[in-house]
Amino acid sequence: MKTKGIIFFILAVAVSTAGATYRWADSGHSIGLIKASGGQARHPSYLESGKDRYMLIATATVIPPYKGDVRVVLEGRPVMDYEIYASAPVADLGIRRWPKFENNILYGLKPKDRVALWVLMRPPVLDPVCGMAKGEGFLKHSGNGRDYYFCSEACLSAFKKEPGRYEGGDRVTGKYALALYDTLSGKSVLNVPVIFKGGGETKDAGGHQH
Amino acid sequence: MQADTNTKKSFFVRYRLLIMLLGIAVFLPPLSLLFQFTQDSNFCGTWCPRMFFSWRSGTTAGEFLLGFLRSYMGVALVLGVLASTFFLGRYWCSHLCPVGGSMEAASRLVPRRLKINYSGIPAPPFRYGYLAVYLIAPALGIGSLCCNYCNFATIPRLFGASFSQADMAYFLRNAGLINLGLVAVMGFFAKGGRAYCNLLCPIGALDALSNRLGIRVGKRLGVSGSKCNGCGACAKVCPTWSIDVGEKAEIDQLSCMPCRLCEEACPKEAIAYGKINA
Repeated sequence: MKTKGIIFFILAVAVSTAGATYRWADSGHSIGLIKASGGQARHPSYLESGKDRYMLIATATVIPPYKGDVRVVLEGRPVMDYEIYASAPVADLGIRRWPKFENNILYGLKPKDRVALWVLMRPPVLDPVCGMAKGEGFLKHSGNGRDYYFCSEACLSAFKKEPGRYEGGDRVTGKYALALYDTLSGKSVLNVPVIFKGGGETKDAGGHQH
Repeated sequence: MQADTNTKKSFFVRYRLLIMLLGIAVFLPPLSLLFQFTQDSNFCGTWCPRMFFSWRSGTTAGEFLLGFLRSYMGVALVLGVLASTFFLGRYWCSHLCPVGGSMEAASRLVPRRLKINYSGIPAPPFRYGYLAVYLIAPALGIGSLCCNYCNFATIPRLFGASFSQADMAYFLRNAGLINLGLVAVMGFFAKGGRAYCNLLCPIGALDALSNRLGIRVGKRLGVSGSKCNGCGACAKVCPTWSIDVGEKAEIDQLSCMPCRLCEEACPKEAIAYGKINA
């Protein structure tokens, strides 16, 4: 029995360690402060490029004396489709005031308010040669078990000549930001860097930062 | 071990399911009643009972203590649970916890032939292996089990998902789906519905320690050696497989939560809740 216990202890440690060290590549969590002078997230959120969709959980507290309405946008190029949802009770019993969230604007933020935003991001597919986001009339080419899209014959033929050179070029990489602006002054009140890392540099991708 | 004999069916035996459903109703969507007093909508935030005691590499003592302030209701909840367990046994886990209660209640709806029996796993070694990694991995900076695998985040969102897009968003990512799989396989489809509680819940792991430490002081479920005939009826119904039946039944206080199903199942009335004479 003792041996069985030791075996299961070691098994639990091994499985739990594997679970703890695994980095979720498609989601990240940031904690930040909303400030009149421009708040920052505690850490950037790193995500691994090449996924169809990503989730950023951005939580933030309003630091006095800031109060006002705040527009939330995802900034970065190429433009990414995104939807933002704010956590709120399903049935608001009116015990405490909740900032209303509509059309990506947080209305009536007050000091010490806390917000939790869920940002669903869908990156565009890019022409791996010139980096243009896939649009109407793009040419489809299949290779290595994948589909690639090109804005023109020139890009397609360049890819066909040296496909290895453009490997990974169809994925969004680089810096984006979840930016919160005061609607009256237009000033930034919080900026959450979101960094899409390419293959081979994903050590921190998807890390839940606290 | 010998427990005080008390054959009268207590309030906590008769109304356990009702109390569990009440716990679910006050904590979980659509009401989320208790959370709304602190401008929260779930356990994440002020009520988080899991993150404050997880020390992360690079965290200063001040930042660590700030975590206690940020989750002050979670701190109060955990301290209250540990203190009540020390004196009365794990009533939070067996009766009130909306997370464990939801999993057990759901498992009652699953046909018996689909249930998974985890009783082959020795629970305490597995549980404390998990808890060790839960505490050590973030301290070493190699990762975290805290938010990534959280029953206290998953279950409330499961209740809210059909009403709220923000709650549904929790499941639109791989971590959400894995968490859903864990509560399904180790909760809904587990025999007794409590395998997650018994193996992977850090609050349950701490609570079990309090249960064991307070054994001489508080009340617990115990077996009367003179009455027990070793039939094993108690072990068959135990959701945390904490009863070992040899010649007589023996309850492991490191896993037992006083659901008192064994007390009801015992044909000899050999199991009772009360002061245990070790």
